[in-house]
Amino acid sequence: MLFAMFLGAMNYGNNLALGLTFLLAALGLTAMHHSHRNLCGVTIRTAGCDPVFTGQTARFKVVIENTASIPRYEITVANEHGEAPPQRIEPGNHALFEISCPAHTRGYLALPYVELATRHPFGLFRAWSVLHLDARCIVYPRPAERGRTPPLAETDTGSTHDVARGDDDFAGFRSFQPGDALTRIAWKAYAREQGLQVKLYAGTSTASHLFDWDSLAGMNVEARLSLLCRWVEDAYHAGRPFGLKLPHLIIPVNVGPAHRRRCLTALALFDHDERRAEA
Amino acid sequence: MSAVLKLEQISPFGRKLAWVISGLVLAILPHAPHLAPWTLVLLGLAVAARIFVEVQARALPPKWLRVLVAFFALLGVLFTYRTLNGIEAGTALLVVMAGMKLLETRTVRDLTVLVFLGYFALFAGFLYNQELLRLPYMLATAWLLTATLMRVHQSTLSMPAREAAGLTGKMVLQALPLALLLFLFFPRLPGNFWAIPARAQASTGLDDELSPGDVSELSISSAIAFRVRFDGPAPPPSERYWRGIVLHDFDGRTWRRPMPLYIPQIVRPVGERYRYRITLEPHQRNWIYALEMPTRWPDTAVRTADLQLVTRRHPIATLTSFDLESSTAYVVEAPLPTAMRNVDLRLPAGRNPRSLQLARELRASVASDEAFIEAVLRMFREQEYFYTLEPPRLERDSIDDFLFNTRRGFCEHFASAFTVLARAAGIPARVVTGYQGGEFNPLGGYLIVRQSDAHAWSEVWLDGKGWVRVDPTAAVAPERIERGLDAAMPGHEPVPGRVLRNHRVLSNIRLAWDALNTFWNDQVIEFGETQQRWLAERIGIENLGVRQLGLAIALTLALFFAALAMYLAWRFRPLERDPVQAVYAGLCRKLARANLPKRPHEGPNDYLSRVAAARPQLARELQEIRSIYTALRYEPAPMLARLSRLKFLVNRLRVTRT
Repeated sequence: MLFAMFLGAMNYGNNLALGLTFLLAALGLTAMHHSHRNLCGVTIRTAGCDPVFTGQTARFKVVIENTASIPRYEITVANEHGEAPPQRIEPGNHALFEISCPAHTRGYLALPYVELATRHPFGLFRAWSVLHLDARCIVYPRPAERGRTPPLAETDTGSTHDVARGDDDFAGFRSFQPGDALTRIAWKAYAREQGLQVKLYAGTSTASHLFDWDSLAGMNVEARLSLLCRWVEDAYHAGRPFGLKLPHLIIPVNVGPAHRRRCLTALALFDHDERRAEA
Repeated sequence: MSAVLKLEQISPFGRKLAWVISGLVLAILPHAPHLAPWTLVLLGLAVAARIFVEVQARALPPKWLRVLVAFFALLGVLFTYRTLNGIEAGTALLVVMAGMKLLETRTVRDLTVLVFLGYFALFAGFLYNQELLRLPYMLATAWLLTATLMRVHQSTLSMPAREAAGLTGKMVLQALPLALLLFLFFPRLPGNFWAIPARAQASTGLDDELSPGDVSELSISSAIAFRVRFDGPAPPPSERYWRGIVLHDFDGRTWRRPMPLYIPQIVRPVGERYRYRITLEPHQRNWIYALEMPTRWPDTAVRTADLQLVTRRHPIATLTSFDLESSTAYVVEAPLPTAMRNVDLRLPAGRNPRSLQLARELRASVASDEAFIEAVLRMFREQEYFYTLEPPRLERDSIDDFLFNTRRGFCEHFASAFTVLARAAGIPARVVTGYQGGEFNPLGGYLIVRQSDAHAWSEVWLDGKGWVRVDPTAAVAPERIERGLDAAMPGHEPVPGRVLRNHRVLSNIRLAWDALNTFWNDQVIEFGETQQRWLAERIGIENLGVRQLGLAIALTLALFFAALAMYLAWRFRPLERDPVQAVYAGLCRKLARANLPKRPHEGPNDYLSRVAAARPQLARELQEIRSIYTALRYEPAPMLARLSRLKFLVNRLRVTRT
């Protein structure tokens, strides 16, 4: 467009039109510098990533901090899977961006790269910078289809739990212990200032499970992991205690989100090079 | 529909759209007078439709409909202007296409395109009009468009208009030096790449036709026709005849210009010569006004056989200057070719019989052509003929009606009547139109010639003398020639600018404004190779060529980038450190140089106590430093005045190495 304007202005010998053309061109060059500077010198760091199941999309969190004394506009991060909504970062402030990355295989998913970008001020130029951040996300195996119930295994049921617990009938309260599922806390009682109480249910499924790798003989590794993953998830959401037995690892029966995470992580990293290195 | 529009209800996109539309409309507005009305109606409809769609959250018109409308709009432009080329058709096309684009605007990208169309409309506006008066409006619109462009690209919360205006304003200021230098250094190419099509639109000014009432109508306008700057003194007012169009064909009412024969004419200057630069306002025609009689002219002009100066190629579509030389006293070398003589003796058959008879009788009663001319002028002077800006309408035989009936006329009536009488008496004669007089602007040192100075006179061929100017108006109203229209007209006649001229302050303001405009015209609009050369010579470059200019541009760009990068680095400098912290860090550095570095685990209290123990002679100062530091840090409302005391103490502290 500028070139057309330039030709026209020169042809008509029209100095004001030429002046406007030069002004717009100079403005474009200025905008380019502003675009570059807008991005230059920001501090970027990763802020983790919640674990996901295979097939889901991992959302890496990236924090960008503006240490300069004027605001930065329209900062965004992008990768080949998309771009986070641009944000404005005031001086001394930081902003949280989420960048997604599909998780195709279990194990560790490293964030391959992230592009820091801005289109400020006029959207004519896009300043960008490719960064390799040390960020990874744990990808749990894909939970298998529901259907196969876990075999009842020999567990220490009854020795530590004098009340058979299930989730069929409400049975009363007991006081909170670390590891109890947040969903089971009686928040209404807490609101009445009765302390943290956990709701107990009496049910028929009395047994706690130790999900055993060896009970799934004859299936391939991934299918076994998938199924174990499904059982762990179901048991966790039902509030049942469970344990996990893998060839190199036994996680004793327990409850709560931390326990679930530990089990799922073990499944995710099963036979994984890095896990061996850590072990 | 009770849709009372509230600002909060409009979506962010809707708000962006509203800004873009207002910027676009402002950019197109200056074109309104010369655009075909239907294009404006179409644009208005498109704006209304788009706003309706946005407010009612409807779907945009379907694609086939948009294509259909665009197609017919294109045909409409082609039909109205007979071309898609040139400024007028181009502008109309731009307006129509902006409307069409509006109807499919859905994304930020579309909005960007609309803003760019706005820039283009501004650009086209400059091609039409480069007046100084217009500049603030154009710049403000450009600013608005740019701020809008920035806001369009804010995807998060919408940026406040003031902030966007501030940011873009700063950016424009940063870009301005570069634009200015580029403007100064960029090599100007002489001439045009392709022909500039003439504009169909009539502008005020003389035409190549003259009917009774034409000049008096023009005299109402105080628009400027041209400005003249003389090298040396200007000719006296009575000799300021600005020769324009020479008219030959008469049909009984209207004078027209026939095909001039290209026979070279030799004009021998006999009097004083005047060199001057004439700057013509665009009049879309190819004739050049010049002091009678032009004797030297640039290559871009040519003098026809009837001594009219015309441009060689293009009509004057932009403000254009010519350097000319004229001589107010001259002799056209004889003889007059028969073809030309016949053209200038021709009269329409059967028209104005009484006038023809009068001329023949008058000619028979005197001895020579000169005596005849004198007799006619005497008739105008002594009989009851009146010079007026509002002459009555004339019948079909306009000369008869004027000479024997109404007897009231403006210069074209007198010139026309005189020429007819001369032809009837066998003297080759023609009508010349142009301007007479001009107002001297003492502030700028140049002459302003306005449309109200438009004039018409006669030229007759006298054997032995050649073409001689005869101005019958001078016989009727000599003041017109000596002192201008204002002096020649009685108080009730509507002479333009009379009030202004008679008021001293207003008159001075008007002259000052015109001087400013002339400066603008000469230095900015007319800026070209000559001015570049002049500027280069001022800084000692003799042979300015494209190479030097290219070098200057490269240098400019490098400087611009360096300066801008430095400025921006400064703007984006890290946040200031806390001043108390900075002073303390200075103290720590000072002590570290004296082999008393702070250990990582030490806070100020421990550290300074340790130093005081190591250097007992400094204990008192260190104690004060410590207490001020602690106060500045931990008091609920620290007194910032103590900061300077802290700085002073730290600066004064002399720590010796041991």
